[in-house]
Amino acid sequence: MRDIEPLSPAQVDALPLPPGRKSFFKKLVQQKTLVFMSVPFLIWLFIFKYMPLWGWTIAFQDFRANRKVFDQHWVGWKHFKFLFQDEHFFLVLRNTLAMSFINLVLGFFTAITLAILLNELRNIAFKRVVQTISYLPHFISWVVAASIISTVLSADGGIINELLMAVGLIKEPILWLGVGKYFWGILGASEVWKNVGWNTIIYLAAITTIDPAQYEAAEIDGAGRFQRIWHVTVPGLKPVFIILLIMNIGSLLESGFEPQYLLGNGMNVDYSENLDIFVLKYGIQMGNFSLSIAAGMFKTVVSFILLFSANHIAKRLGEDRLF
Amino acid sequence: MSKTRSAPVKQYARFKSPSDRLFDAGNITFMLLLVIVTLYPFLNTLAVSFNEAVDSVKGGIYLWPRAFTWENYHYVFNEATIFHATLISVLRTVIGTVASVFCCAMVAYTISRPEYVLRKFVSLAFILTMYFSGGLIPNFLLIRELGMIGTFAVYIIPGLIGVFNIIVIRSFIEALPEGILESARIDGAGEFATFLKVVLPLCIPVLATVSLFSAVGQWNSWFDVFLYNSSYKELSTLQYELMKILQNSNTSLNTGQDFASQFANSESGANRVTPTSIRATMTIVASVPIILVYPFLQKYFVKGMTLGGVKG
Amino acid sequence: MKRKVWLSCLSAVLVVSLLAGCSKSADKESPSASATDGGTKKEEKVTFTYFNAAAGKDKNTNETTIGKILEEQTGVNFKLEHLVGDENTKVGTFIASNAYPDVIVPGNSIDKLVGAGAFIPLNDLIDKYGPNIKRVYEPYYNLMKAADGNIYFLPMSAIVGDYLPAPNVDQGAFWIQRRVLKEAGYPKIKTLDEYLNLIRDYTKKHAEEKLTGYLALTTQDKFFAFTNAPMHLAGYPNDGGVIVDMKTHKANDYGDDDITKRYLQELNKLNAEGLFDKSSFVDNYDQYLAKIASGKVLGFFDYRWQAGQALSNLHEAAVKSGNDDLEYIGLPIVYDKDTKDQYLDPPSFVNNRGIGISISAKDPERIVRFFDNLLTDENQILSNWGIKDQTYKVDDKGRFYRPAEMVTETNAEAFRESFGFKYFEYNWPRYGNGSTLPDGNSAGAGRQPEVAQMSYTEGDKKLLQEYDIKSFSGLFAAPDDRPWYPAWSIPVEQGSPAQIFTQKKGDLQRKYFPKLVLAGANEFDGLWEEYFKEFNKLDVKVYEDLITAEVAKKIENAEGKK
Repeated sequence: MRDIEPLSPAQVDALPLPPGRKSFFKKLVQQKTLVFMSVPFLIWLFIFKYMPLWGWTIAFQDFRANRKVFDQHWVGWKHFKFLFQDEHFFLVLRNTLAMSFINLVLGFFTAITLAILLNELRNIAFKRVVQTISYLPHFISWVVAASIISTVLSADGGIINELLMAVGLIKEPILWLGVGKYFWGILGASEVWKNVGWNTIIYLAAITTIDPAQYEAAEIDGAGRFQRIWHVTVPGLKPVFIILLIMNIGSLLESGFEPQYLLGNGMNVDYSENLDIFVLKYGIQMGNFSLSIAAGMFKTVVSFILLFSANHIAKRLGEDRLF
Repeated sequence: MSKTRSAPVKQYARFKSPSDRLFDAGNITFMLLLVIVTLYPFLNTLAVSFNEAVDSVKGGIYLWPRAFTWENYHYVFNEATIFHATLISVLRTVIGTVASVFCCAMVAYTISRPEYVLRKFVSLAFILTMYFSGGLIPNFLLIRELGMIGTFAVYIIPGLIGVFNIIVIRSFIEALPEGILESARIDGAGEFATFLKVVLPLCIPVLATVSLFSAVGQWNSWFDVFLYNSSYKELSTLQYELMKILQNSNTSLNTGQDFASQFANSESGANRVTPTSIRATMTIVASVPIILVYPFLQKYFVKGMTLGGVKG
Repeated sequence: MKRKVWLSCLSAVLVVSLLAGCSKSADKESPSASATDGGTKKEEKVTFTYFNAAAGKDKNTNETTIGKILEEQTGVNFKLEHLVGDENTKVGTFIASNAYPDVIVPGNSIDKLVGAGAFIPLNDLIDKYGPNIKRVYEPYYNLMKAADGNIYFLPMSAIVGDYLPAPNVDQGAFWIQRRVLKEAGYPKIKTLDEYLNLIRDYTKKHAEEKLTGYLALTTQDKFFAFTNAPMHLAGYPNDGGVIVDMKTHKANDYGDDDITKRYLQELNKLNAEGLFDKSSFVDNYDQYLAKIASGKVLGFFDYRWQAGQALSNLHEAAVKSGNDDLEYIGLPIVYDKDTKDQYLDPPSFVNNRGIGISISAKDPERIVRFFDNLLTDENQILSNWGIKDQTYKVDDKGRFYRPAEMVTETNAEAFRESFGFKYFEYNWPRYGNGSTLPDGNSAGAGRQPEVAQMSYTEGDKKLLQEYDIKSFSGLFAAPDDRPWYPAWSIPVEQGSPAQIFTQKKGDLQRKYFPKLVLAGANEFDGLWEEYFKEFNKLDVKVYEDLITAEVAKKIENAEGKK
């Protein structure tokens, strides 16, 4: 236990302190197997995750890698100010949140729907083939995927424009990637296309825990196909869904980087540039580690707020919660 | 085995109302559309990988190569290092996945026990780490201090625990019917024995899932090779070798590259090889082995398996 | 200190408890094998580590033909490592851990490495062991010295002997399809108006072919290919984001100048006529290359090495079919008839790239002697031309040349790797591009006129004849002397206000230039006003002042010594 206490006061406070310290230690001794099964990993966690946090001091320095920690030039909140005072910052933040939110909603909706529909397929072989194929795009790198997306959306013979012109919806090709307000939609659709199969896997695993007897019972009660889905499958998926949802809400500021970078251009930049690209340009590409870390800290603070709020709401609603 | 398990499914499938039929037809049509849309990028990449590199510059290759060649595969497999690197990739994937999934399951089990006094502390300590990082330099210095530069262990130890995996496994354990663990305990099994003999077998579907996540992560990662082992040829991995070939074939793809370097490249004649086809070939070579893992794991995704196992 | 002890305790626990199974596999090879060499026995074989912040295949130099010969001469082998990921990240880890490869060829991180004290000063070593290094680099010493007066790395562009311009256009140009010139009877084209009118006429006559009049490259980090065009049109060479006045030597960022406005306005007109490809602003690099390679594009501005893949594709097709209509020729287009074009690079000295020896190197003396040995005429011939009768021939007048089949062979990537051209013709101390050997041959094979002429097709020859020139660069004016050239090589400190300015300017232009080109004719001026205002809100002065000051320094240095 002593190894862990110096972690952070906040977490020590979070400990469920039993009425008396004595009974706490007594229980600890009683549960020594559980302790042995988890505490070595807490040590691992401390070394690999908490110890490098000294790096956060870098955000308050004009960091030069060759200087020792105490020789660094301390600059206070300079890098945070640079971040928050940039006129683009709030635009970038808006884009980040908007794209994350769209991805979150679309991602959950499509993955769960696909899992349910796959579950309804009667032919097992067909089901497995569809599953396997639908997860293929996950393994195509964004560079390749973005290239395919650009081709499909191209104004010179891209299939989307050709189709829309063939059915007479548009008269001349649209420069899809040249119109800012289409960008979020294009990105959302691309993410779904690339990851829906992959995201489905976890729900398919969750479906295996549903007791088949429940389906039988529902059927005997005269439930139709949709009712069975609604009253048996969906509740079976709910615990996993809630947990994943809370975790994802915590990472709303992580809207991805590669697709926005690869599909972004001067014409859609007001919608495509997100926090990560901003940090790439002014932090990483300029060799400014300090700014990258400052941005990372900002993200952490926001993540914690979102995470605890989401968890709290889940608790209030009596749902499963993360911690 | 699987027959008895899928039996209940078939039972209720026997009565088909017209709306059922309509639903099935719609569902199958939808799945076929999905297959077309998701298979296309892969087929397209395959076609480009078999197309002559110079010709690929013209674009416009869809499902079939225009000028067929094995040249790109020769180019990729030309490197003797590829085979050794593949071995390292397989090793890190297998060892890393097994170690990680076992450890994650163990932690997940402890924090699924409602009576465990450290439950909330351990959960929170793990979960919070998903949302912060000390940054690249501190991590690098840590690995260096631990003497793990140039070791195989650097592929396994720093990424041993995936918090996401712990949480997923935990939520499955918590969903198990309560009686099962109780009965194990009444039989006199200790915590560890319960975990090993009762919980693990019951969790096979979720373990298969997180194994897949972990294996794909291990297989695809190259950043740790880049940071820690780039001067140790014998520890190079397939992904890293392919990254090398790719960047070698197109230096200008490097996003961080500035004008001066491009100028230098033009002088040194570095912009010679056509990247599109090499990139496609690399994608195929790197992804096919790991893609094949999924169909193999699918047999663990059978409905009712968990409970079937309990009842049986 | 305490933390270290604490850390090792924890790591011990961890390693014992968790690691037991997976053992270390790779301690046998230390990163720097040079440690074994005491420096007394000169002929003892030794291997140094060499890191190049560019992509490439990792090899030992003695696995290449050239490297093997050099090892026989010096006993020195280099274990080459190339960069795979992000340069700043990799270099950051070197600096943070204070452990470097023996020899480093950095890219844009070079200032950081110098600032971190990663390189050893070379001055004394050169005096003692580097007569050839001194011969090649002494004229440039003033340009090579860091603020503290020391030389930390050797650049790669020190010109030796008479300066020889490149026979073919390997830099920027306005490219036009040969069929356009052919149909117009090979007119002499000089101004942008003439150039665009040719394109207009051709598309009008061939309306049914659905041709693209003009294409531009704007994607990601290649955006400069779009913004640089006005600079060239105004009669300046590629100084990057600025033009430097020939008299006052003041640097001026032309991003808000009339020359930029004029270029955008011309494109705006083209667009209104339907001759400009709107997709230029959304296409990625692959799509851009594909369009040029399709043969449907009549003209575009770009640097030869960026459009190279598409141009060689067309060239190969032309060689096969014997018809070069779809191939391009690069023209030195300017705005006004009496402007002298300055597309060709003047003799230049890029002083923010080079090769340095790190403080981790155990035997810098040996490395300096290896460098020195590279800079003999014989070894420069070896690195660039190869071995006589194997990779080049000498005619009875003593001129070096390569017959067609040798050109093909020495251009093949696999051969360049196994022979070692790929590793030795650049990225080492060398005779810079355009250097000549004492016997008048070009130091580099690519600039030898005989080599270029040997590879001309019938179509090429016809074209050269029509314009009465010997090689394609014959259309271009000779470059004026600009001691500061290229201004883009002036180091801008990372994260400094000047660098932040260039980034912001880029962002602004990326956003406004597409709007300006695609806008209706009546909206153009208003948009330009808006852009102009935004542009001048940025701290352009910091940047211009920095460049002006550095240009002055470079001129002073060059004049002081030469």
